[in-house]
Amino acid sequence: MSLQHYLVISAILFTLGIFAVLTRKNAISILMGIELILNSCNLNFAAFSRFVVPPENVDGLIIPNIDGQVIAIFGIVLAAAEAAVFLAIILAIYREFGSIRPDEVDTLKG
Amino acid sequence: MVIPLISIILLCPLAAFVIFALLGLAKRSFPRQDLLSTAAMLAALVCSFLLLREVVPDPKPHTVNWISVGDFTFSMGFYLDSVTVIMLIVVTLVSSLVHIFSIGYMHGDPRYPRFFAYLSLFSFSMLFLVVSDNLLGIYIGWELVGLCSYLLIGFWFEKDSAANACKKAFLTTRVGDVGMFIGMMMLFAKFKTLSLYDGTENGIFTLVEGLSGTGDIIWLSIAGILIFCGAIGKSAQVPLHTWLPDAMEGPTPVSALIHAATMVAAGVYLTARMFPILTDTSSLVIAYIGGITALVAATIAIVRFDIKRVLAYSTVSQLGYMMLAIGAGSYVAGLFHLTTHAFFKALLFLGSGSVIHAFHAMHAHHDEDHTDGEAHEHDDHSLVHEHGSEIPPDQDMRNMGGLRRKMPWTFGTMLVATLSISGVPFLFSGFWSKDAILGGVLGHAMVSHSPHYYILFGMALIAAGITAFYMFRLIFMTFFGEPRNQEMHDMAHESPWVMVVPLLVLAVLSIPIVNPIWFNKDYVKPPPQSHIHAPAHAQLGPDTKTGDANSGFAFFWISEAQAAEEEGGKNTEKADDAYRIHKLAHNIAMVLSICVAGLGILLSWLFYHRRRFSAESVATKFSPVYNLFWNKYYFDEFYDGVLVALTVWKSRLFAQFDGAIVDGTVNGVGTVTRQIFAAFIGFFDNRVVDGIVNRVAEVTWAAGGRIRRIQTGAIQTYLFVVLGGIVLIILIFRAL
Amino acid sequence: MEFTLKTFIFYGFALITIASALAVVTVRNIVHAAFALMVTLFGVAGLYVFLQADFLAATQVIVYVGGILVLILFGVMMTSGRLEMRIHIERGQLLLGGGISLALLMLLLTVIANTPKWENLTDDGTAFEPTTKRIGELILNEKFLLPFEVASVLLLVALIGAALISRKEVRD
Repeated sequence: MSLQHYLVISAILFTLGIFAVLTRKNAISILMGIELILNSCNLNFAAFSRFVVPPENVDGLIIPNIDGQVIAIFGIVLAAAEAAVFLAIILAIYREFGSIRPDEVDTLKG
Repeated sequence: MVIPLISIILLCPLAAFVIFALLGLAKRSFPRQDLLSTAAMLAALVCSFLLLREVVPDPKPHTVNWISVGDFTFSMGFYLDSVTVIMLIVVTLVSSLVHIFSIGYMHGDPRYPRFFAYLSLFSFSMLFLVVSDNLLGIYIGWELVGLCSYLLIGFWFEKDSAANACKKAFLTTRVGDVGMFIGMMMLFAKFKTLSLYDGTENGIFTLVEGLSGTGDIIWLSIAGILIFCGAIGKSAQVPLHTWLPDAMEGPTPVSALIHAATMVAAGVYLTARMFPILTDTSSLVIAYIGGITALVAATIAIVRFDIKRVLAYSTVSQLGYMMLAIGAGSYVAGLFHLTTHAFFKALLFLGSGSVIHAFHAMHAHHDEDHTDGEAHEHDDHSLVHEHGSEIPPDQDMRNMGGLRRKMPWTFGTMLVATLSISGVPFLFSGFWSKDAILGGVLGHAMVSHSPHYYILFGMALIAAGITAFYMFRLIFMTFFGEPRNQEMHDMAHESPWVMVVPLLVLAVLSIPIVNPIWFNKDYVKPPPQSHIHAPAHAQLGPDTKTGDANSGFAFFWISEAQAAEEEGGKNTEKADDAYRIHKLAHNIAMVLSICVAGLGILLSWLFYHRRRFSAESVATKFSPVYNLFWNKYYFDEFYDGVLVALTVWKSRLFAQFDGAIVDGTVNGVGTVTRQIFAAFIGFFDNRVVDGIVNRVAEVTWAAGGRIRRIQTGAIQTYLFVVLGGIVLIILIFRAL
Repeated sequence: MEFTLKTFIFYGFALITIASALAVVTVRNIVHAAFALMVTLFGVAGLYVFLQADFLAATQVIVYVGGILVLILFGVMMTSGRLEMRIHIERGQLLLGGGISLALLMLLLTVIANTPKWENLTDDGTAFEPTTKRIGELILNEKFLLPFEVASVLLLVALIGAALISRKEVRD
């Protein structure tokens, strides 16, 4: 269970998220892809925090560095906020266009 | 004391005018401008008399620096010698009397205050001219009096004739002034100064002594003649004399002051001032101009019927006398005649003004009388030309006659003046001055053996006779005989005392009470003409003459002495010769002048009083001569027909040149520009510039139309591009 | 690395996570996708546990599964009719997106494989204290206080913004 294991898992999750965002024809599916991307990021934070930064040894007491975990928590907070706003936007779009297909929402088409 | 006095003399009349002008700016008027101006003139008069006493003990010039600008040695100042003082007295005296006279004469005129303001301005200008010590100052005063003359001739500018006369006067004198200015510039180029005499070596009069070469003398002659051109214009000498008779359109006091006593005499004064720079040549020119003027004007005066025109031509004639005197070297005689003439001619004009004033009430009936008079005129004088019949009835001597009893004071004073101008011996000043001139000319002729001066003496003598003739013709026609126009005669009346008193004063001045000034050789000395006679010339010692002065004909010695002084030189023997010759010349001249004056008066008496001969029949018999005189030698016709026509023709030519060539060029250029150049530019603009702009716009439009399809509005498309771009960039950087 | 139970479980979690994530992006039915996402989130939480991030794992489960996923399901329900449940996928877009994603994956894997300082960082199996207390100190007392406050403001803004955007406009 080296760092690279986590990084590979994270990379796969990230790629899958990107794939979802690029290809899915449903705004909520895109949201799911974004959640995958965010999870991969959080996983990366936690993994780097675990493996790369060495724990401090204070008076024989080993204190691990958990800054990455805290960042990941903030990432979760952000994800929650993002999801809330995203869904609100989806609702507004749905009211406006009667659809949440991203290729149908093209008012800015040149 | 000199400077304050001169300042008062100059500033009093100026202040009177300035007060009028400033109040005029405020749309107000001083209630008694007449009294203000008169008081100013009287103050100046008193100061002039005080100045006479100042200068008497020391007749040297008083020069005062007035303005100095930087290191340029151009200073203005007062050149104050005995002649200046005499001129100041003459000007202020005549001016004062004219002011007083005008109070009565101009009474009721709508522009009454303005008249006095103009008189004040004129007096200031004339006094300034007189006292200036340099040519520039003289020129300034010269032009100012010209301006005042213009304003006063055209004072009744509602009359077309007055408006035309003032323009004519201004333009005609301007012709002479141009010559004068060129002469001044010549002197300035030579001497680097315009100052006449500033008490040092730098004045023109001092510098001129250094000239001796032929070229310098020619230069000086030309300059002198050119400056004299100014005098020709201003003093109405032939050929620029035509403006002065027309100037009689102005109010009669103006004629008396400006066109008889002072301004026209300024030309004589200027010529006398320039006496030291006059050469033989320029003197001869001046003498000839003066002599011809004296004769021509006198002959024209014979046939005038307008009382003022007679006096105007008389003035021209007398001014010619003065010029002749100066040209003949009789400096003192010329100026002497100037002063006597100023008084008796002012008197004659004011007297005629009094007569006109007496008829003034007739102005109301002017129109109907005019037609009557015209018809009458045509009956009596078939030779009268149409344009000669435009005489105002109150100035026409044919309407007068028998006024002797109606206007005794006017008659008496005018008779004194007439006797004076006619040269009736001994009791009247005109005799002495005119005789001094005649004697001076004859003496100069005899000393210099120049035939020119004999001819000139003959001309002057004839003119003297004619003068006596036409002056008595005026007196007889006006004051003697039966009234020709009973209606006008009945309305005539003696003038009020404000007009009579000046006449009386002037009558007193017309008898020889001022002569002693001129007979005092210590007081008035002719300036030396050193360049002419150098080196033989030198001032004669005063004691040489003292003995002579006491012997011989006491009244004449002044002219003789000064003439001898001029002609003689250092050599006492030669001077004595000259003195003897002059004494002889004066005796001859006196006898001859008495004879011609008597002859003139006699003929006049026979023609116009006794009616022994008919003037009309003589005129008919000698009709060519009469026509010549009547038409004033056709000077006006000449000017109209030649100069004016030439100018008009030239102007038309230039107008055609302007219209055809200048305008044609401009229009041609315009047409070419519009048709060819503008067309090309327009083509270029439309096709090339607009084309480029439109092509750019079209390309942009088309490109935008295609490129905008990139903007699908679908976010996933954008995302594709972004991620594809990222991948590509990373690959590229890895490849590098 | 010996093949222990721990290792087995780790791989199991990894497999579940990746497989369910694959399901999320491939399943046609959006509700199925949402449930697959739930499995993925659980998998990631398990991986956190392997990273000794106990508080993080718990937060992951509570917030994601209990909050976000429910929110997503609400969104699905509110916006999709019965016919809309199925997700359209275009072939060209699928190929292009797959290509780009694959390229990205290759890129990431290359980077992971070629970064030397990430090699040989293995889990030595040391067990830590529970991190909750430490996280609490970090957030409320130490260097993350300011981000915490900012995050709270962000949440407030998101709350208000979401309410503002999603509410029905009151027309005159």
